[in-house]
Formats: sequence, C-alpha cells, structure tokens
Amino acid sequence: MNSYYLINLLIYAAVDAMACLGLSQQFGVAGVTNFGFIIFQAAGGYTAAILALPSDSANGGFQSYIGGWDLPFPIPWIGAAVVGGLIALPFTFLVGRRLRGDFAAVGLLVTAVLLNLLVTNYRPVLNGDAGLSLIPQPLLREGSRQSAGYEWLFTVGALVVCAAVYLFVRRITESPYGRSLRAMRDNDIVADSLGKNLLSLRTAMLVTGGAIAGLSGGILVSYITTWSPAAWGYAETVVLFAAVIIGGAGNHRGAILGAILVPVGFEEITRYIPTSNNLPPNLIPSLQWVAIGLLIVVFLWFRPQGVLPERKRVIRASLLGPPASLAPAAPGGTDPASPAAAGTAVAGAAPLAPVPAASAVPRPAAPRPAETAPRGGEVVLQAADVVREFGGLRAVAGVSLSVRRGTLTGLIGPNGAGKSTLLAMLAGTLPVSSGRISYQGQDVTSLPAYRRARLGLIRTFQLASEFKKLTVMENLLSSVPGNRGDSLRGAAAGPRYWRGDENAAIVGATALLERFGLEAHANSYAGDLSGGQRRMVEIMRALMAKPRVLLLDEPMAGVHPSLARKIGGELVALAAGGLTVLMVEHELAIMDEFCDPVVAMAEGAVLAQGTMAELRRRSDVVEAYLVG
Amino acid sequence: MTIFLASVGFGLVTASVLAIAAVGFTLQFGVTDVLNLAYGAVMIAGAYLAYLLNSHGVNIWIAMIVAVVVCSAGSVLLNAGVYSPFQRRGTAPITMVIVSLGMTLIIEFGVQAAAGGTSVSYTMSQGPSVRADGFTLTAVQFAVIGLSLVVMAGTHVLLRYTRLGKAMRATAANRNLARNCGIRTGRVITATWAITGALCGLAGVVFAMDAGSFGATSTDLFLVLILAATFLGGPGQAYGAMLGAVIIGLATEVSAAYITPDYKYVIAFVALLVMLGVRPTGLLGKAVG
Repeated sequence: MNSYYLINLLIYAAVDAMACLGLSQQFGVAGVTNFGFIIFQAAGGYTAAILALPSDSANGGFQSYIGGWDLPFPIPWIGAAVVGGLIALPFTFLVGRRLRGDFAAVGLLVTAVLLNLLVTNYRPVLNGDAGLSLIPQPLLREGSRQSAGYEWLFTVGALVVCAAVYLFVRRITESPYGRSLRAMRDNDIVADSLGKNLLSLRTAMLVTGGAIAGLSGGILVSYITTWSPAAWGYAETVVLFAAVIIGGAGNHRGAILGAILVPVGFEEITRYIPTSNNLPPNLIPSLQWVAIGLLIVVFLWFRPQGVLPERKRVIRASLLGPPASLAPAAPGGTDPASPAAAGTAVAGAAPLAPVPAASAVPRPAAPRPAETAPRGGEVVLQAADVVREFGGLRAVAGVSLSVRRGTLTGLIGPNGAGKSTLLAMLAGTLPVSSGRISYQGQDVTSLPAYRRARLGLIRTFQLASEFKKLTVMENLLSSVPGNRGDSLRGAAAGPRYWRGDENAAIVGATALLERFGLEAHANSYAGDLSGGQRRMVEIMRALMAKPRVLLLDEPMAGVHPSLARKIGGELVALAAGGLTVLMVEHELAIMDEFCDPVVAMAEGAVLAQGTMAELRRRSDVVEAYLVG
Repeated sequence: MTIFLASVGFGLVTASVLAIAAVGFTLQFGVTDVLNLAYGAVMIAGAYLAYLLNSHGVNIWIAMIVAVVVCSAGSVLLNAGVYSPFQRRGTAPITMVIVSLGMTLIIEFGVQAAAGGTSVSYTMSQGPSVRADGFTLTAVQFAVIGLSLVVMAGTHVLLRYTRLGKAMRATAANRNLARNCGIRTGRVITATWAITGALCGLAGVVFAMDAGSFGATSTDLFLVLILAATFLGGPGQAYGAMLGAVIIGLATEVSAAYITPDYKYVIAFVALLVMLGVRPTGLLGKAVG
C-alpha cells in the first residue's frame, strides 16, 4: 500500500476520531446537543493557522489575515485548543435550564450557518472565501514536505494526541462527575433538584468539547496546510453527529468507530467508485450526503443505541467487604450528623423497628419542647403568601405555611389544589410569582433549585423521575453530595483522588438498598424497574442526598401497601433523628398513621391544618376533599 | 430617501415570501410538535419542481399549483412515514430535530442529485414595473405580495372561523386535552401537515421567483430568516410569525441597503439569538417565570 495514502488515512482518522470524542462527550454523555460543533473545529483551525503563518506581507501578500505571528510548534496546537474552548463561553447563555434543548440546538445550528457566512464574506481577517493556505507545518521551515520520516512522525503525533483525548474523556465519563453529566442527560430538572448546577455542567462540557474540537482543527490544518469556509459548512456537524449516533452515543469507543465508518469511510469508498463521463459532476457527492441523511434516520429507527451501545456500569458492592462492618463510617464522610448517615446507623441497628432509631442517631437533636408548643422543633421551612400563576390561572393563591423540624407534615387536597405546584416552589423547581420562602432562617426565594438542594432541601417528583439509563446503584450514588470526584477537576485528577469517597457512598447506598429490599436490582437500569420500585429508587436517592428537609410528592403512589407502611416507618425514624418531611399523599391511611400535622389545601389555598382526626371533623375539608 | 424607499420595496417582497414560509413553519411546529428543519429542503423541492415544469413549457402559475400540491402530499408522507412513527415511539424532541436534519440532507441533496448539482436560474418575465421615487416593484413582485396577503387572510379565516382551524388551535394548546374533548387529533395533525406543506411549497416557488436563481442549498440561509420570524413572534403563533416576517423582512433589506448585502442576515441572526436567550416565547408570547 502506498505509504502516503496510509498516512493520509491515519491522520484523518485521528482528527475525525478526536472530533467525534468531543461530540460524544457533549451529546452522548452530557446530553448537550451542539449543532454548532463544527464552529469549534473551525476556530481551532484558524487559530493554528494565524499563529503559525508569517505576517501576510511576508507570505507573498496574496492573502490577507490578522495575526501572522510565525510561532513555533506546539504553540499553534495549544492555541487551537485554548481558543476552541474559549469561544464556547459566549454560547453558554443558550444552554441554561430555561431554554428547551431543541431550541438551544437550533440556536447553535443557526450560529454555525451565520458564522460561516460571515467568514466567507469578510476578507481582511481570515481571507474570506478563499481561506488560508501555505500554513507552515510543525517544525518545518520551508512549506515543502519532503521526507517520509517526517510524515510518519506527524502521523504518530496525531495518533498520540488522539489517544490522550480518548483517555481524558474516558476518565471524565467514568468518574462521579461523569455520572452527574449522565444524570443531567437523562433528566435535567431532576438533576437540578438534586444539587447539580446545570449551567456549570453544560458550560464545562461546551468548553471541554470545544477545546477538543479546536485541537482537532489545529492538527488538521497543520497537516493539510490550508483552511477555508468550505471545509466547515454546518452539514459537517451533521456528519459528525451521524458518526456518533452510528458508533454509539455515550460510548467513546463507539465514537472512534463512528469516525472511522462515517467521515473517513465515506471519503474512501467514493474513491473506488469508477468515474464515468456519463455521470453529472456532482452526482456522487450529492448521493453521499443523501446516504449520510439516510444513515442517521435509519440508525435512529432501527438501532438508536448505535453499533457499540453505552455500556452498563456494574458496581459490585461485595468487593468492598461486608457493608455491616463499614456502615458506621458515615457515607461521604463530610457530615456525620446528617440524616442519611443516621439512616445507615439505623440499618446496622434494627432495620424493622423505628423506635430505637432516635437513640442510634448521633445528632444532638433538641428534646421536644413543652407540650403546649406546636409539635416539632423550630420552623425550618416557611412559605409566606406564596403565589404562582400560570397565564390567568392562580394555581397557588397566597399560601402561608410553616414546617417544623422533626415533623412529618402531610399535605392533602383534591386534584388541582396546587399541592405539587407549592412543593415545586418550595424546592425552587418553579419560581414564585410573588411571596417569600425561607429555609433555616434564610430567604431562599430567589435561590435556584440546585442551591437549595445543596442546603439540604430535597424534593421528589410526582411523575417518574428516575435517571433511566443509570443503574439503581448509580441513581443512588448520583445524589450523594461532597464526592471529591464530582467536579471536572476532581474527575481529571483520576480515580485514586476520589475512590475513597466513592466507596463510602457505595457502602451507604448498599445499606439503604438492603433496607428497602432492592439490593437484587442494584445493577439494573432504573428505567427497567416497575413503577413501585422506581418510586422507591427516587425516595432512596433523595435520602442519599443527605436532606434536612425532604419534600415528597406522592411517594407511596403505586407502591405496595406493606412497602408504603415500611417507607412510612423509615420516615418516622428519620424524623425522630431530626429530618423534616413535607409529604403530599392521597392515601389517607398513610396520613392517619404517620403524618402530624396535616395541611389541607383546596383551590390554591390552605383550608385547614391539624391532625388528621381534627381535619375529619371540619366540614369544609370534608366537603372539599374527603367526600368530593 | 430613494435608497430607503427602494429597500422598503424589497423588504416588503422579502417579508411576503417570509410570511408565507414562517406561518407554515410555525403552525407546523405548534400543532404537530415537530421542529421540522427539513422545511427549507421541502421548499427547494417545490421550487425545483415548478422550475422543471416551467422549463418544459408549463405555465408558471400552473407549475406553482402542482408544486403546492406535491409539497402538501410530500409533507403528509414525511410525517406519516418518518416523524409520526418516531413520535409514537416517544422519541425525545431533540432526537426529532436530528431526524429532521437527516431528512434535510436526504431531500436537499436528493434534489441536487436530480438537478445535476448546478444552481438553476429562474428567468421569467418580470412584467411591467411600477416606480415612485425610487420605490420600484415589478409585476411579479406585486404578485408575490398579493399572494402573501391572500395567504395571510386565508390563515386568519382558517384559524378563527373554521372547525378545522379551531381544532388546530386546540391541538396546539394541549393535544391530550383536545383528544379527550372529542377532537380527532390524528386527523387534525394530518390536515396540518397538508396545509403547512402547501404553504411550504408555495413559499418555495415564490422564493425562487423572487431570488431569480437558486441551488439545492439556497434555503439553508432562508431557514435562518424563517426561524428568526418564528421566534420573534413566538413559536406556534401564526400571527406572531406574520409580525416577525414583516419585521425581519424589512430589517434585513433596509440594513442591506445601508451596510452591505453580504451581512443582511446578521440582523435576523441577532434577533433570533436574543429571542432565544431572553424571551423564547416570543414578542407576543407570555414571559417565562
């Protein structure tokens, strides 16, 4: 085989694989659909070019461009990666929580189309339509490529960089941080409610992916020594998407396979189509595009998981030794007084009897004040005249509510009373239209949901909200706060940096799973469980987040009555340890047995508050709810 | 002043083309919940069909009607064969957008393969022109504006006064509720694809008539204008799209007269990004939060 041909093939494969890895990290792992991905590769290409080129007058003056710094290798490649990452920053406003993912994607696509148009039409900066050429190759003074040895060296360099990128994205993806990214991909609003800062996660992914794309552009440009707008039309992004989808989104090896099959493979196949003079000149390239479109649609229909699907992360807790012996070593190791830690202690002591729990809890829980005071400790969560309007509808019309520490407060009311909306506002999932919410004496009205979650205010959702493509174990681990590996920097530092935190969290999660009888499903995808089991996963996941106040939206719906009673018992035990619970539930037997006080809502307002027995005596409550 | 009036004239023509396209696009999205980025590709398919018929001696207005019918049927098939099966399977909206990008490639480059890959020029008699102090419009341009006004009036009548229009609005507002109220949402959605597909085909033909020459990928940039008009008015809002089309049409052409035509799309682009970032529900929509 011609060695020039092989070199060409390998370098293109390395560059395309790098780009696909960046895209796979953004799209497959983090669920950030960046239809403007090619912009970042283009930026890297131009950066490498203007850093490496001599000033434009020195270069014959036939092309005009800024820069022309004539800088030596490896500065152009480094610059390409840095600029690729930096230009991601202006796009972050598109990927916050407020904008629908498909709208943000359209914004990025349109940006790619427009930037290409601008660069094409504006000559002074990057030589417009004609693009830049005669870009010096690394370590070569004259533009001529003579020795085969140099070409091989270049090839090896490109492959090494590609391998480094692969190891980097794998390290990120397989860390607790990567788990947070995948949680966000599966359900961003739930991830937000568990303390994940979506904007920061998505920004980090745009920047990392952008830097990888930029680097790939820089390497490509210093090999082909030319770069022009024709090389980075928006449709090139679609080719990369096709590669990642076909290879397997979320599987980095799949991304490499996709890069080899689609962008590289297509170029190669068309070389072998016999050229005939009878064919119109553009027929083959046109059909190539048609084929890529077909591949995308056909794969998304028949094999949406790709050739190499995302693999399941199986966690064998047994490798860590018997959980009972390790249980007292508080999971996370940051806050031994937290209820989740207390929970593990309960597991060790007496799983079925809630009563001894209080004694097993290390928290210096204040003894209950005198009998005259309202049940529970001080007020931890308070809503003052909270209103939420949807269009003209006042779903919650001025609710004031106080929740005291250590209580299991129930919230009942007919459908449409505004219970879930109130819960969402308390947790920060929905902003209030007016009114104030304070938590532990702090005004949290304008605090986003993830910040409230980090303060220990955790909610569950009425509708199924498990992270479907995470295992049950991963669902539980995803909410544990304070894991050292749950940041980009921590993830980059490698498993040794966070292994301790991770193991402690696994021990805690295993104990919890055993308590709720789901240990057999630890390594099943949460999306494959029954409705009742998924409810349990959500409750356990909320407990793993070390809540101080737990907002539960119909936690027992679809759960077997005996299990529901068990959950209730656990909650009572945790409440005795200082956890506060506000629970929406339609099952009044649960309210009777576990909740005191109970708040009754109707038509967006609080109707009454008291024990369930008291509420049953109130004719207005009975009329609004118990009968109707 | 002369330049200004001339650019306003062009702006009105662009706005007319854009209004037809954007109303179709926004209704399609609002009712069917598919953000169909292949809309521009279907436009080009319609334009190319009309061109082909016209170049074989068929009267341009008859060719236009054929293109409208074919695009309407094609859109219904596109939904029945591709989008609807994906939607029934519960495919995420973002994946639907990727599917529509795949369809864009298939249709656009299918047209290019059929057309032989060269951009075709639509030379037709522009008819007598009307001039007034720099404000110059040809008969064809007047026809485009007239067509657009008829389409807008027709859309208004459809949405306000017909059962189908009311059913479309109900389906757009809440599909499940509409179905529970006895509206056959499946039929409404098919009808919507037929109507918006017809608008798409019509927009494609007048786009080509206005542009003079076009290639298979000519609507890539025009799609930016459509999206800008749609998001200015609020996605799914037919009246908003009309307003957005007038604003974007005039803004691009007037700015083209004063800056340079190469950058006339930038204004649309900035408008779109600002709307996406600040007020994704549109000028006429409700504020978020």
